[in-house]
Amino acid sequence: MIQAFSRTHVMGGLRLLALAAVVAIAMPFAAARAATPAEEFVQTNVQKGLAILNSNGSKEQKRDEFRNFLLKLTDLKRIADYTLGPVKNSTSPADLAAFEDAFREYAFAVYESEFQKYSGQTLKVTGSMQRKADDYLVTTVLIDPNAPKGADPIQVDFRIFGTPGHFTVADIIVLGLDLAITEQDDFSSFLAQNNNSVKALTANLKERAARVRAGGNLSGK
Amino acid sequence: MRGLSKLLFVGMGLLLAGCATDPTGANDPYEHTNRAVFDFDQKLDKYVISPSASAYVAVVPKPARTGVHNFLQNLDLPVTFVNDVLQGEVHRAGDTLGRFTINSTLGVAGLFDPASDFNIPYHKEDFGQTLATWGVGEGPYLVLPFFGPDPPRDAAGQVVDIFFDPTTYISLREHFWYSAGRRYLVVVDLKSRNFDTLQNIERGSVDYYASVRSLYRQLRNNDIRNGQPDVQNLPDL
Repeated sequence: MIQAFSRTHVMGGLRLLALAAVVAIAMPFAAARAATPAEEFVQTNVQKGLAILNSNGSKEQKRDEFRNFLLKLTDLKRIADYTLGPVKNSTSPADLAAFEDAFREYAFAVYESEFQKYSGQTLKVTGSMQRKADDYLVTTVLIDPNAPKGADPIQVDFRIFGTPGHFTVADIIVLGLDLAITEQDDFSSFLAQNNNSVKALTANLKERAARVRAGGNLSGK
Repeated sequence: MRGLSKLLFVGMGLLLAGCATDPTGANDPYEHTNRAVFDFDQKLDKYVISPSASAYVAVVPKPARTGVHNFLQNLDLPVTFVNDVLQGEVHRAGDTLGRFTINSTLGVAGLFDPASDFNIPYHKEDFGQTLATWGVGEGPYLVLPFFGPDPPRDAAGQVVDIFFDPTTYISLREHFWYSAGRRYLVVVDLKSRNFDTLQNIERGSVDYYASVRSLYRQLRNNDIRNGQPDVQNLPDL
């Protein structure tokens, strides 16, 4: 479509407008700088993840490989503990461990159901911010070859903890939706209705994981 | 305009009155009623919106659906423009004006989207967001029949936006049906484009009502920040 427009001569004003828009969008990238260690960490692991997704192995092989990859990469215990909010402090170590296990299985059930739909998307690191000595936010944009023209770019931010060489991903924020906050809000409502029973939440999570894996039945109860 | 400013003051008064906080932290003092309305909205979704969206996808070919989507987005732009200006976002106001001009002319009344080829991205602003940038809090969480999550700030914003919309001043004999029809189309368009996402949220939630409440607020706040990450207020993991 754009070639067709540039061939016409009436478009002078519009082209100027478009050029101004392009320059404005390109500006932040013009100031080229070396990637920070946290950015490199995300970029490298995006490549690793894509290599697994695009490999020739069987579906089960790929799934297991991806699972091991995520287990090493992510700190699911950290996010699981956060989602319990203040209830965590009054939970027995055994109940907490059972909950962390159920949370991990639930997270993997969700990842694996998404995994089936993978069709060529990739992530491009756009920047990062350091919040504390060991607390970073790395911003990326999802590049989807199948996205319709003019679709909003999808921003995906990663919360990275640790020091260079020992980084883990503890949270992910998609279009401003923070996984840790969403799960905490979801769980705290459930806990409030169930006498703050982490056991009940653990049982519910197991059920949810099974439902996500089965991919059906939305009855909710 | 005098009527408008009066409405504004009434709206602001309501918002301030509604800013009382509750001890649970969810700021949802009407949760019981809200859940009932949420159930009603879900039934509406199940029996009216979802079947409509399915039929829409089955009957209308994709290029035509894209045209409808573009047309509806273009129709939002005058309201977005006024709110860009009210928020002092000069650059974004320019984007909106450029986009509306290009798509309304070259894009045949907004059916096509040549502006995206010129790298002028779409964004939406409403008066609820403008109020937020002026420091007005969202007030207690509210779910309205037919409208879904709609706390006082955003509901008041929607009323004000009616006055910013030029189509309000086109004298139509059946204006109610125009508004209702447009709203219906917007919802069906939204639903048809987000079937899977919505289903995944429901499937993955322990308490769907609480998840939607959380997601609504996060999405609104993201829109208010124009997509900039909220680095200061990230959770203390």
